[in-house]
Amino acid sequence: MAHAEAAAKFNENEAKVNWHDKALWFVRQKRDKQAHKIQGWEQLRDYASALKANVLSNLDNYLVQFEENAKKNGVTVHWAANAEEHNKIVHSILQKHNAKKIVKSKSMLTEECHLNPFLEANDIEVIDTDLGERIVQLAQEPPSHIVLPAIHKTKEEVDELFQEHLGTKPSGGNPEYLTREARKHLRNKFLQADAAITGVNFAVADTGGFVVCTNEGNADMGAHLAKVHIACMGMEKLIPQEKHLGIFLRLLARSATGQPITTYSSYFNKPEEGKEMHIVIVDNGRTEQLSREDFRRSLHCIRCGACMNTCPIYRRSGGHSYDATIPGPIGSILSPGKDLTKHSSLPFASTLCGSCSDVCPVKINIHEQLYKWRQIIVKDVPQPFVKKNIMKAVGSILAKPKTYDFVGKSTRFMLKNTPKSLINSKINTWGHARDLPEVKGDNFEEWYKKKTEK
Amino acid sequence: MKVGLFIPCYINQLYPQVGIASLELLEKLGVDVEYPLGQTCCGQPLGNSGYEDDSKGTCQLFVENFKNYDYIVGPSGSCVYHVKKHFDILEQTEDVKRVRENTYELCQFIYQVLGKTDLGASFPHKVGIHKSCHGLRGLRLGSCSERMDPHFSTEENLLKEVKGLELKTLNRADECCGFGGTFSVFEEAISVKMGKDRIQDHIDSDVEVITGADHSCLMHLEGLINRNKQPLKVMHIAEILNSSI
Amino acid sequence: MSRESILNAVKANKPEALPLPDIDLSVFDEDINLIERFKENIEFVGGRLLELDGLDTLDIEIKALYPEATKIVSCMKESALGTVPVSKDTDPHTLEDIDLTIIKGNYAVAENGAVWVSEDDIIVRALPFITNDLILVVPKNAVNLHMHQVFDAISERERTFGVFISGPSKTADIEQCLVVGAHGAISLTVVLY
Repeated sequence: MAHAEAAAKFNENEAKVNWHDKALWFVRQKRDKQAHKIQGWEQLRDYASALKANVLSNLDNYLVQFEENAKKNGVTVHWAANAEEHNKIVHSILQKHNAKKIVKSKSMLTEECHLNPFLEANDIEVIDTDLGERIVQLAQEPPSHIVLPAIHKTKEEVDELFQEHLGTKPSGGNPEYLTREARKHLRNKFLQADAAITGVNFAVADTGGFVVCTNEGNADMGAHLAKVHIACMGMEKLIPQEKHLGIFLRLLARSATGQPITTYSSYFNKPEEGKEMHIVIVDNGRTEQLSREDFRRSLHCIRCGACMNTCPIYRRSGGHSYDATIPGPIGSILSPGKDLTKHSSLPFASTLCGSCSDVCPVKINIHEQLYKWRQIIVKDVPQPFVKKNIMKAVGSILAKPKTYDFVGKSTRFMLKNTPKSLINSKINTWGHARDLPEVKGDNFEEWYKKKTEK
Repeated sequence: MKVGLFIPCYINQLYPQVGIASLELLEKLGVDVEYPLGQTCCGQPLGNSGYEDDSKGTCQLFVENFKNYDYIVGPSGSCVYHVKKHFDILEQTEDVKRVRENTYELCQFIYQVLGKTDLGASFPHKVGIHKSCHGLRGLRLGSCSERMDPHFSTEENLLKEVKGLELKTLNRADECCGFGGTFSVFEEAISVKMGKDRIQDHIDSDVEVITGADHSCLMHLEGLINRNKQPLKVMHIAEILNSSI
Repeated sequence: MSRESILNAVKANKPEALPLPDIDLSVFDEDINLIERFKENIEFVGGRLLELDGLDTLDIEIKALYPEATKIVSCMKESALGTVPVSKDTDPHTLEDIDLTIIKGNYAVAENGAVWVSEDDIIVRALPFITNDLILVVPKNAVNLHMHQVFDAISERERTFGVFISGPSKTADIEQCLVVGAHGAISLTVVLY
C-alpha cells in the first residue's frame, strides 16, 4: 500500500492521530529543552557530522582496525554480506552452544534482517526484552518507531495484550502495574537465557570495544547473565576513537528522548571470564548506499529517531504507514536504496519542510535527499500515465510565455465561472476539504500592463 | 540599483493583490523596480514532483527574464528558495550564477539589503505569522525552533514596526502547514490534517489575521478556513506592510 | 566468509578521504557550579543525591534510607553493611534477590547526572543491574563538567567492561508514561563526599 493510502486510513480516527501527534511532539519539546541546556549544541552536530564523514571515507581501514583490536580483546568477529548470512552466523553460534532460549535487546539491524522469524523457524525462542519491543512482539506487529516501538499502542491495548499473554489482571491500563508485571515476566527470561543478543550503538575502531545504550537495563541483564553475548552491528556504526563518544553520547539521548543521557551506556571490551563475546559486522546494502554520492550521508544515522518525532507527517500518519523497517524521514531516504519500487511512495510522503535535517544530530540533509530520490523515482519506477504527461505538459507550458498566458487565462476563466459544486467534487482532490481561491478581475500581469501604459 | 519584480505564477493568476502590494511597497521605499513581462514560473512544482529535468526550459526562461537586474525580488519564499537552491540543474553560466545569487524574498530584501524595518504601515489587528518552511529553513529568514541559535525573525522585525499590530505567539512556532505543492493533492489526508492543526493553533492563540511570506501555504490555509467558515482572515505580509488603515 | 568482498566493496565505493575534524573543546566550556548541576540532573533522571562530609557516617545514612534491606552486597571497604559475600566466581544468577548494592563510582558527570563505574569496582558485571536498589559512592572532586572531560579521565583504564549509570532503570514504553524500575535497579542514590 502506498504511504498516502495507509496515512489516510490512520486518519480515520482523528482522536488517535491527535494523541499520536501530541505524544511525539512532547518528545520533540523535551529534546529542545535538553539541547538548549548545554553549551555548543550546533558545534556538537558539526563535529559529529564531520566525524561520520571521516569514518565513511575511511571505512575499510577503520573496520580492519576495529577487528584487530576486538580480536586482541578476545572477541570473535564475523562478517555478513547480507541478512541471510547474518542470520546464519547468529544461528551457527547458537547451535555451537546448543542455545535454545535467547533474550534480545533492541536492535534495528536484527529487525532489518528478520532474525526472529529465522531463529523461531529453527526451534529457538527469541524474547525481545525492551518493553516496547516485547509489546509489539506479543502483538505480532513490527515496531512503529525505532526508539518508541509501541508508540502506536494505547495503554488499554497493552493491558489486554498482557492479560492474554502474561496472565495479568485487568488494570484499565495502569502503566506502573503493567511495567512491574513485565519486569517479573522478563526477569525469568533473563535468568533462563542461554544466550543474549544486543545491538551496537557505537563501535570504536581504536579500542575494538562497543557501546550499547538502554534505559531499561535490558541489554546488560541479558549480556551479563548469559554465557554467550552476540552483538550485531551495521558497519556504519564505527567511530574512530573512544574519546569521540563524548560527542555522540551527548547528542544521542538528548535527540532521542530528551534525556541528558540514557540510563545505561555500557562499554563492552572483553568477555567476562568463562564467557564468549561475538560481533557480527553486517553490510546488507550499506556499501551500495555508500556508492551513491547523493545518498551516502544517510549512513551517518545514529538511530535516535528525532526526525520521526519532529516530522509533521510521521506524527500524523504513524510508523506503520511507511511499511519499512525504519519508518519516518530517515527511513524514506534509506529504504528506496534497498527496494526502489516497493518504497517509491516514501520520498513523496514529505512536504520537504526541512525540520528533519535541522533536528538531526549528525546533520543528514534528509529533505534534500528526499528531493533527489523523487527525481530518480519518476525515471526508474513506472509512473501513472496521466501524472507523467501532465508534468511534461506543464513543463512545456511554463517554458513558453504565450502558451502560459493562454492557459493562465483559461484557468482563471474556469475558476470564475465553474459552479462550486463541480469545483468541490470528487474529481478535484484539492476541493474535498478546501475551497479554491476566489478569482476576480485581472491577473497581475494584465494589471501591470494597464498601469504602465497609462 | 535596478530591481526585477518576480511574481510567481500562482500569485500572478490567483492573487494579483499580493503582486500589487509588493510592487507598491517597493516603490514606496524608493526602489527602482519593474516587472519583466512574460514571466511564468520558477519550475518548483515540477522539481518537487520529481520532474526537474522537464523544468529546464522554465528555469532558463526565468534566467533570461531576470539576468539584467541587480536584484530579483519576489513575495514567495519557496519560489525564491527554488531559484537559489535548485537552479543547479542548469549550466552554471555567469548569468545563471548571478541570478541565483541576487534573488531575494521580499521581506529579506527589505530587511537585509535595504536595511529597513519601519515602513510606515499601520494595521490594528491581532496577527499570527505562518513561518513557511522554505523561507525559514531554506532561506533562513529566521531562527528555526530545531536549532539552538539566538532568536531572530525577519518577518517579526518588520511586523513589530507596524502601528497597532499585535503579534501573537503560537504554541508551535514553525510547524509546516502541510501544503507542500503536489503533496497537498497526493497526500490529501495528511495535508488537510496538518493545515487544520496549524489553523487551530492560530485560533487558540487569539489570532485574527494569519500572515506570512509565502502565499502558497496561505492559499492552503485559506481554503480550509473558508470551507470550515472559521473566523480568521489570511493576508500576505506584503499586504499588511503596504497598508495604512 | 564475506570479509574480503565487503572490504573490497567499501574500498571501491567510499568517497575521497576526509580528515578527522580538529575538535575545540573550549566551545563546550561552562562556568557553573558542578555539584549543583550534577544534583539538578541526577534528580531529573529520577535518582537521589546524598551529600556527606566524609564516609564516617556512610553506613548510618544508608541504613536510614534503606531500612528494609537485608540482602546487601558491599563492594567497598568503607561500608560494612554487606551481608552477601561476592567474588569473581559468584554465579550472577544467584544475585537475583539482592536488595541493595553499594559500589564505588570513579567519576560523575555534571551535564547528565551519570556516574562511571568500572568492572574492577563491581566484582560481577551483572551486579549493578540485577540488584533491587543501588548506591554509588563518588568523591566530590571527581565531578566533571561534561563527557569530554570524563573520556580523558578514563582513557588509561584497563578496558574490560564499564558503564555510565544515570539514575534508576526506567521506561516510558506504555503511552509515554514514565515508570521507574524496568529491568535494572529500581532506585539509585549517589553519595557525594
